Amino acid sequence: MPPVSQSIRVKVLFFGRLKEIAGRTQDSLDLAPDADIESLFANYASRYPELQQYRSFLVASCNQEFAPWNTILHAGDEVALLPPVSGG
Amino acid sequence: MAAPSTDITSLVHEPIDPVALAAYVRGNEDGAIVIFDGFVRDHSKNRRTLYLVYEAYEPMALAKIQEIAAHIHNQFSIHRVAMVHRVGRLEIGETSVYIAVSAAHRAAAFDACRYAIDTLKRTVPIWKKEYFEDGSVWADGELPPVPSAPSATSAVKPAS
Repeated sequence: MPPVSQSIRVKVLFFGRLKEIAGRTQDSLDLAPDADIESLFANYASRYPELQQYRSFLVASCNQEFAPWNTILHAGDEVALLPPVSGG
Repeated sequence: MAAPSTDITSLVHEPIDPVALAAYVRGNEDGAIVIFDGFVRDHSKNRRTLYLVYEAYEPMALAKIQEIAAHIHNQFSIHRVAMVHRVGRLEIGETSVYIAVSAAHRAAAFDACRYAIDTLKRTVPIWKKEYFEDGSVWADGELPPVPSAPSATSAVKPAS
C-alpha cells in the first residue's frame, strides 16, 4: 500500500442565500485526495445544517464550469455552490 | 468557440448606455437590429419593489455570456452582438440587461436575441435580491443544466 497521501486544499465560493447561510463569500477547505463535490457540500452542511435543505436546489461549478456532484476535486480547484440563477 | 472580437460582452457596475450599444452594432450591411432592454420593475408578486441588488460570479458569468454570443453567431445569420449585464444596486427603471443583435434580415436578429436572453436567464450565474419596504428576498430562479459527466479537466469518482 502506498502511504496515505496528504489532503488537498480547494477554494470554495458561496453566492446568494448560501453566502448568507455560510456567513462568508469564500473559504479555503482541506479535503481527502479522492473527495468529490458532494463530500465538500456535506462538510459545510454538517457545520451549517440549514444548507442541507437547499441541496436539491443548487448546482455546483468547478473551475468556472458547471460540474456534477461526483466530480473529483484536485488541489487548487475553485468550487462554487450556486443557487438557481435569476439574472436578467 | 469564441465570439468574434467585434462583439461587446461585459458585466458592468455602472449604468448601461443603450444608445451607444445600439449604435455600435449597427452596420451598413445590416437591415435590422433587435434589442432586448431588461429593466427594474416597480413591483414583484403584488409587493412594491424599492430597488434590486444583483450579484454575479463575475468571471464565470462573463464566460457564459461570451459562450452565448459565440453560439448565436454559429446558429443565426447575424452581424454584431452587444450583451451587457449590470451588477450592484439598481433603482426602478434602470436597465439591468441589454442585448442588441444586428443582422441583414429581421428573422435572424429576432431569433438570436430571444435565444440570448432566454439562455442568459437560465445559465448565467447572476442573482437578484429584491428589496421591499418590509424586507428583502432572493428572487426565484432557474437551475442551470449541468453536464452529467465532468469537463475534460476533471474526473468522476467511480460508483462504489
